[in-house]
Amino acid sequence: MSAEVRELVRTYLPEFPIQYCKSLVTDTTQFMSIDYGHVIELGDVHYMVYKNEAERRFGLEDPKYWVKRCHELETGKRKILKLEFFETFPVQVGKFSVECYRSPDKESRILDIVRGDSRFMQGITIKDAAGRNVRVLEIVNGRRLDLTVDRIDVEHDVYFREHLPGLLRRYLEAVRAIGMLHRHGERHGDIRRDHLYVEHGTGNLCWIDFDYTFHSYEHPFGLDLFGLGNILVFLVGKANITVQSLEGMGLAERLEGRLSSDDLSIVIPNRIVNLRKIYPYVPEALNRVLMHFSNSAEVFYTTTDELLADLEPCVEALESEYGRKPE
Amino acid sequence: MNNKRILIAFDSSEHAFRAVSYTGEMVADMPDVHITLLLVERLPDRDFFPDEEQWRAECGERVRTRKEALAQARAILETAGVKPEAITVNYMVSCKSPFEEALVCSTGESVVEDILRTQREGDYGTVVVGRRGVSKTEAFMFGSVSNRIVQETHTCTVWIVS
Repeated sequence: MSAEVRELVRTYLPEFPIQYCKSLVTDTTQFMSIDYGHVIELGDVHYMVYKNEAERRFGLEDPKYWVKRCHELETGKRKILKLEFFETFPVQVGKFSVECYRSPDKESRILDIVRGDSRFMQGITIKDAAGRNVRVLEIVNGRRLDLTVDRIDVEHDVYFREHLPGLLRRYLEAVRAIGMLHRHGERHGDIRRDHLYVEHGTGNLCWIDFDYTFHSYEHPFGLDLFGLGNILVFLVGKANITVQSLEGMGLAERLEGRLSSDDLSIVIPNRIVNLRKIYPYVPEALNRVLMHFSNSAEVFYTTTDELLADLEPCVEALESEYGRKPE
Repeated sequence: MNNKRILIAFDSSEHAFRAVSYTGEMVADMPDVHITLLLVERLPDRDFFPDEEQWRAECGERVRTRKEALAQARAILETAGVKPEAITVNYMVSCKSPFEEALVCSTGESVVEDILRTQREGDYGTVVVGRRGVSKTEAFMFGSVSNRIVQETHTCTVWIVS
């Protein structure tokens, strides 16, 4: 434990048990060894690490050692510090393996582009003493979109009438936000429903985590648009509905022989996209938007503007039918 | 639109070489034909690399191999009987190149737009492109140059060589 850390903690975090204080860190290169009790110094500001961030998916926790939850000592605020970590790894998207790259610099650029835009997580980039890129992020005060929808404990028809219009109205803004990134020549790179948060109080949607990038093909925004389509299908269905899950939903008998490969996602083979077959009250126009992401699609959305042009009238129609309610 | 001006969209792939061979066989004896081999430079993103040095090294290697491939493509046309003076090689530099700047460069967002702009400005009557044969899913996720060229061109003939 260093005297400097002890002094900082006594001044700014007197309730912290002093015996757990560790050393002052000015070079974040070896982020695996930075843990609870270390204080990271960035310029004149100090961050007490209290834990590594972890991603929770499918009930399993996956620690992210380069992401630290911290107290910003001088202000008392909680912040997230993302430390410099480059990696390349394959990501399975349906039957495709896509090479992904984690790029701190990309996320820093996007943080600069979206500064002040509440549709995105906020943060700044500071270089540590070794010149490493450290992103100091504001914690989004909200809950993940998928968890928010899961907690709406009503039948689907009630959800469809009373909650979906408001959610889609907000989702339109989230799509517009991605369009703004695209117009700046940037991609989110990892669009999924647990990277979209519902802010407490306002209910507005906020994107997080934009440090992934991948090779640009002829359709540079294809993966982002695929992600947006996935979230849309999830919202309309109130879940990702697969052929296998129909049995548990008590729908297998009703739908036997009625589903074909045309009704399934063009990328994720078992995911049902033709939700009107499951929920006949899904309007045809909205279902047509979903079907752009199905095996039967002949024409695909290549820009967020194209998606919005079709989706906006659907949301207006839902609001007109069921009334515009705050979500 | 000049029917004897032919633009081959070349990306150094096996399919692109096939397109070159096919074109050579088809037009070698055609009088007054002119063929342009267009390669649109696509460099890896700087974001893929932890530092500038590794990025420049990869870019340099890519530029070298692509230019070699262009030279081979030219040789294929000449071997087929196309006169050397009837062949132009157009290497369109990326706007993000660390090695050179160019008045006309590729933004890297859409190869198809670069190809079709070249076609319009050069008054090419025919565009030739090799087809990989991507699945619909691949076309959905990553796009297809040949599909998009067919969909978006209105002012020329398109040869898709499979």
